[in-house]
Amino acid sequence: MPMSYESQEDLVLIIDDEETIRDGCRQVLEKSGYDVITTGDGSEGIRIAREQKPNLVFVDLNLPGMSGLEVIDILLADIPHIVLVVITGYASIVSAVESMKRGAYDYLPKPFTPDQLRAVTKRGLDHHALIIEAERLRAAQEEMARDFITFVSHEMRSPLMTVQQSLESLRVVAGDCLSDEANQIIERCEKRIRNLEDLVEHWLNIRQIEEGTLIRDKGILNIADILLHSMEDMAPLCEKRGIVLKSDIPEDLPAITGDRESLVRVFVNIIGNATKYTPAGGTISIRARHDDYHVHVAISDTGRGIPKDKIPFIFEPFYRVKERGEHIEGSGLGLTFCKRIMDAHAGKIEVSSEEGRGTTFNLRFPR
Amino acid sequence: MAEKRKILLIDDDRDFLMATKLILEKNGYEVLTAENGKAGVDAIRSASPDLAIVDMMMETWGEGFSVISEVRAMEGGKDLPLIILSGVDLQGPYQSFEPSEQFPRVDLILHKPVKADDLIKHVKALLG
Repeated sequence: MPMSYESQEDLVLIIDDEETIRDGCRQVLEKSGYDVITTGDGSEGIRIAREQKPNLVFVDLNLPGMSGLEVIDILLADIPHIVLVVITGYASIVSAVESMKRGAYDYLPKPFTPDQLRAVTKRGLDHHALIIEAERLRAAQEEMARDFITFVSHEMRSPLMTVQQSLESLRVVAGDCLSDEANQIIERCEKRIRNLEDLVEHWLNIRQIEEGTLIRDKGILNIADILLHSMEDMAPLCEKRGIVLKSDIPEDLPAITGDRESLVRVFVNIIGNATKYTPAGGTISIRARHDDYHVHVAISDTGRGIPKDKIPFIFEPFYRVKERGEHIEGSGLGLTFCKRIMDAHAGKIEVSSEEGRGTTFNLRFPR
Repeated sequence: MAEKRKILLIDDDRDFLMATKLILEKNGYEVLTAENGKAGVDAIRSASPDLAIVDMMMETWGEGFSVISEVRAMEGGKDLPLIILSGVDLQGPYQSFEPSEQFPRVDLILHKPVKADDLIKHVKALLG
């Protein structure tokens, strides 16, 4: 089956220390319409392959100096989609098998005829075209998935906003006619819609982080500022739940590089999380410090803690630490979001927890 | 009682339009509606409202902006109080939109959904 692969001439590289083999191969393959480069040296072959990106490389296993197997390992690691065929000098099936194990596509035992060479070359190049085609399809599929998610998120947000606005108008229109019970029903609706909205937003944000579009411009940031801002945001909620929010943030923290908005959301998320699992009368404390290389932030609560066996999963999407029948508010994507944001800042987020005593999130930023 | 102040709502989501209309009417305003940018501009010409509230992203991205540009360019449209009611505070080119030199002036940007109290407070302030 001929592949429709016309984007560039098929370039074949031959690495073999025997001059007669190199010249013979060149003649045969050039006559068949391929571009051919040859070299007798392994490291020279690697240099050429890196520069010229051939589609197919013949490698003699029995090279002087660098071994053919080494050449294979380096080429496969360095050049995506490259197809390798080994030439085995002494018809050794053992070395051919070893190279195939390492990722070579085919082998050609010496001595070989022009027909055999042409057949192996054609097979190798067809295989290469197939890899490229598969890669193209995979990329197209990924793009479709990405567009789909963006589309769905927007299509979901729009009706959510309309439902919220309608509930708001219902209150206004009904005025004082609504009983306490009716008002509670509306409140419950609003709460669940907000959760759904958070979910859509987090989902979209995570996609944006993956695409690299959420954090576009990083600036020099004062982390104390960001922490205080986040605490201000969360203070009303803590007060409402009867939780004390306190901080120990030194004034001389060094600056970090990052995206202010998304970091505020990381801290707000973690503090918000702590409020869900900390009973009234508890404390959430925020401490910051620095060493020669990092700025550290620790957010601790005196809540019920996370069971040891669940800690490995808490940054996974939609994982929730909850007891049977319990409804915990939130999108289930909050900590996943935090983790991705920290990754995008070359930072680290870890959790330590003791059941019944509380949980601490440790965040680390490079200075 | 003085004549009711007239507010024009421009939004392509009919249900959203209805919800906002009810909030404003309940607070004593007369409300006109338009479901696309063109109808909105026509209504501003023919009905001369005291204030217009424009959805930023209707059928096409930026349709709200063309409405605002047209209104600001039309006779008597320079001083009409305009509120943008935006549903796109999440992403896209308008994420950090602030009225600036390049953009025609708007009086206020609110985000969907808007609390009734907020909306009324701002409308009152703009209508004096």
